[in-house]
Amino acid sequence: MDFISNREEQNRHLMAALGIESMEELFSGVQRSLLRSRPVSDDGLSELEVLRLLEGTAEKNRFPLFDQYLGAGAYQHHVPALVQAVCSKSEFLTAYTPYQPEISQGMLQAIFEYQSVICALTGMDMANGSLYDGAAACAEAILMALRHHPQRRRVVISSLLHPHYRQVINQYLSSHDLEVKTVGYDAEGQLDLAGLSRVLNDQTAAVLLQSPNFLGFLEPVKEVFEKADQVSAVRILCANPMSYGLFSSARELDADIAVGDSQPFGLPLQFGGPYVGYVAVREGFLRQLPGRIVGETVDSNGKRGFVLTLQAREQHIRREKATSNICTNQTLAALASLVAMLWYGPEGMRRLALTNYQRTAYLRQKLSEIPGIRLFGTAPVFNEFALFFDRPLVRVLRLFRKERIEPGLPLGRYDRRWVGALLIAATEMKSKEQLDHYIEVARQAASR
Amino acid sequence: MSELKTIFQKSQKGQRAYSLPTDGEAFDAFTPPAELLRTAPPELPEVSEIDLTRHFADLAKRTVGIDNIFYPLGSCTMKLNPRVNELCASLPGFTRTHPLAPDKSVQGNLKVIHELISMLCEVSGMTAGSLTPNAGAQGEFAGVRMITAYHHRRGDHARTEMLVPDNAHGTNPATAAMAGLKAVAIRTDATGDLDMDHLKSLLSERTAGLMLTNPNTLGLFSPRISAITQLVHNTGGLLFYDGANLNAILNIVRPGDMGFDVMHLNLHKTFSTPHGGGGPGSGPVLCKDRLKAFLPLPRVVVKNNSYQVVWKDRRSIGQIASFHGNFAIYLRAYAYCKAHGYAGLRRVGEQAVLNANYLKKQMGQYFTIPYPQSCMHEFVVQADRYLDRGVRALDIAKRLLDYGVYAPTIYFPLIIRECMLIEPTECESQATLDRFIAIFGQIVKEIESDPELVRSAPHRQFVSRLNEAQAARKPILKTSLCTQEV
Repeated sequence: MDFISNREEQNRHLMAALGIESMEELFSGVQRSLLRSRPVSDDGLSELEVLRLLEGTAEKNRFPLFDQYLGAGAYQHHVPALVQAVCSKSEFLTAYTPYQPEISQGMLQAIFEYQSVICALTGMDMANGSLYDGAAACAEAILMALRHHPQRRRVVISSLLHPHYRQVINQYLSSHDLEVKTVGYDAEGQLDLAGLSRVLNDQTAAVLLQSPNFLGFLEPVKEVFEKADQVSAVRILCANPMSYGLFSSARELDADIAVGDSQPFGLPLQFGGPYVGYVAVREGFLRQLPGRIVGETVDSNGKRGFVLTLQAREQHIRREKATSNICTNQTLAALASLVAMLWYGPEGMRRLALTNYQRTAYLRQKLSEIPGIRLFGTAPVFNEFALFFDRPLVRVLRLFRKERIEPGLPLGRYDRRWVGALLIAATEMKSKEQLDHYIEVARQAASR
Repeated sequence: MSELKTIFQKSQKGQRAYSLPTDGEAFDAFTPPAELLRTAPPELPEVSEIDLTRHFADLAKRTVGIDNIFYPLGSCTMKLNPRVNELCASLPGFTRTHPLAPDKSVQGNLKVIHELISMLCEVSGMTAGSLTPNAGAQGEFAGVRMITAYHHRRGDHARTEMLVPDNAHGTNPATAAMAGLKAVAIRTDATGDLDMDHLKSLLSERTAGLMLTNPNTLGLFSPRISAITQLVHNTGGLLFYDGANLNAILNIVRPGDMGFDVMHLNLHKTFSTPHGGGGPGSGPVLCKDRLKAFLPLPRVVVKNNSYQVVWKDRRSIGQIASFHGNFAIYLRAYAYCKAHGYAGLRRVGEQAVLNANYLKKQMGQYFTIPYPQSCMHEFVVQADRYLDRGVRALDIAKRLLDYGVYAPTIYFPLIIRECMLIEPTECESQATLDRFIAIFGQIVKEIESDPELVRSAPHRQFVSRLNEAQAARKPILKTSLCTQEV
């Protein structure tokens, strides 16, 4: 099948208007040797066969049948039904980037509202219309800091930043002549403040901290940023935005740039994407923001409207001098996050974050009481936590999986010190029954 | 009093849409440390579900997509976004999979990734690829990084320049700069092709490579493409193909056969994934054997009869996305490829070129055609003849909106004065194309009799022409509950 409208009748007319008799003549300017011959038979499928094929492929995934406790930057939360209803509307789904603003006011206003909601949540002054994901947002934030301090050559990053995010940062920084210092963590699972002091100097352009960090611990952000401020380093905070429903905002923690991924709001797991990177800044960083930004203006009758603005930062105008090469971003996914965040509202955000905190805390507490299980650290956590099993992890995993539970992410492959540890996330999706079932199985797994 | 309210202005105290499960007192004992809590709740609007629903319905009413109108945007390939792809992408068997799930439990996903890369390689003349870049610009970045990695591995650190045509999409030089290379522009000659003499003069031992699209941004296929790629290879540089215009040559001509070493694709262009108002897209990077070691991570391989994910490889340029890229987007492209088969993809390319040439022929009565030869899937026209009536391409674009079609791309490529870049895609019917021509006929009459009508367009939208200068001069980038919205 295809979605071509013109058939033989119309194509005869089109070709007659061009004075040609076959499609081949359209390609007469192409070197003969480059032209492939047309496929002999039609290997396409009908619509119902496509569906059958994809449904069969989806069924090959056994993972959705499990009670799963994986987090690590991708979280299973309830996606409000309204999200799908809004995002599948023709006008949003099939619209182009709103470069012709008069005909795209709805989309522009939606992006403007997304920017506004991100600012309300993070407490920052301005935000852009989205980046690819949290990893790209961290990378772009560091590049912003480097432009802010063009003479500085050092960047300080927490070792408990998501390891994949760190990979992407390395990618973006690969052509820069820089010193990247990584600061370790203490026994509590938080950033080693003494270690931080040792690497901060007047050459430090940026300090990047994630809180909750990769292992779920809430960091002493204010203390870290106070030290960073002493050398005027740009203070970048990477956070799961759901935590801002309950915990101090990026602004209250003295961040200059707030980044992260708003996937927890409105986006299913989808095997890793599309997610949504957010970046929100203090006023002074506006001109350095990458990507698309929507601003408010008026039309020729003084009527309120919205446009893409400050485009002189972007690639289609500044080309090699642009703040970033980004063109297409994650607009529809940002719309999904917007709908979800508005659906929760201020009170819902707080209660959602609280119930996530509580379910995780409950599971963590009960598991810590089981002999043969050791918590990674004791600092407070949000949404996920790490622990060690004394028994071999291979057997622990087998036992859980027999009970149709995927108990958490084995951490050994990220760090040799973490062999035998699992990273476990518990969200509002987990009922008390499910959590108690997990605890019961854990008790067996730890003892046998 | 203005009618326009943002969602912040619709807040009513105590109203809400959300609901949450409650599990009794079991969890009450766990309270977070007080000193970590935010001092006041986030200042978000309080809106009920029905009001939220209507708010977004209103926003949708003031936006249009391909589902609504013809979108002849050159360089964007605005083809139909098939709804069957939406159905496939929303299957819970896909949406509920975590990117770090054990390989054995997500064999369906890994099969999609592996097979899609194969199909894309087959139509591109490449041998390996990665679906992780999240958009075209990221695919370009991955490809350019792979080129520099290749040179560095050979011990060659002198290649610090990337050649880019002056009519290239802005992401090309921007990407080169992000990868630490100096973007050097090559002129376009009078026939619309790359200026060979200028190219030869710029090639040196400092050349990392050449980024090119073919057909180019003027919609023209270079008759000398093999000579161009050979020239660059002879000086030790590599060739990057910008796949944005692949729709013209889909399964007709292959970038690999033209001599390109690495390329990216825009799945949200050629492969019908929805634009969503600006994204998410997907920009896979594909390459030939000599670059495949450098492909980004993670990768999907076949081992012992099953699919496995490889997260580590020291020669790779590393990760470019947090996980597997925009999986739900390229899943749609997978369905699209399977639906069409190689035969259907071929038909797409041929029809796209036929539709474009038909339009171009008719447009000649109203506009200057700078390049008279046959075009591929898109073509450039110039509206400069109307400047003496005070009417620019921008004005004509705005007036088109009043006639219920989206304006073509304007002022790109930058090298053509008062240009419009028009791409109908293979989807549009003869009636739509004929109507498009007729609309221009109308507008040209208006330019003659009432140019002010066109200069001040649009007139039939929710807003008239917007003041973009003011938006940049006095940026208002958000609203809040405290903002006095007038």
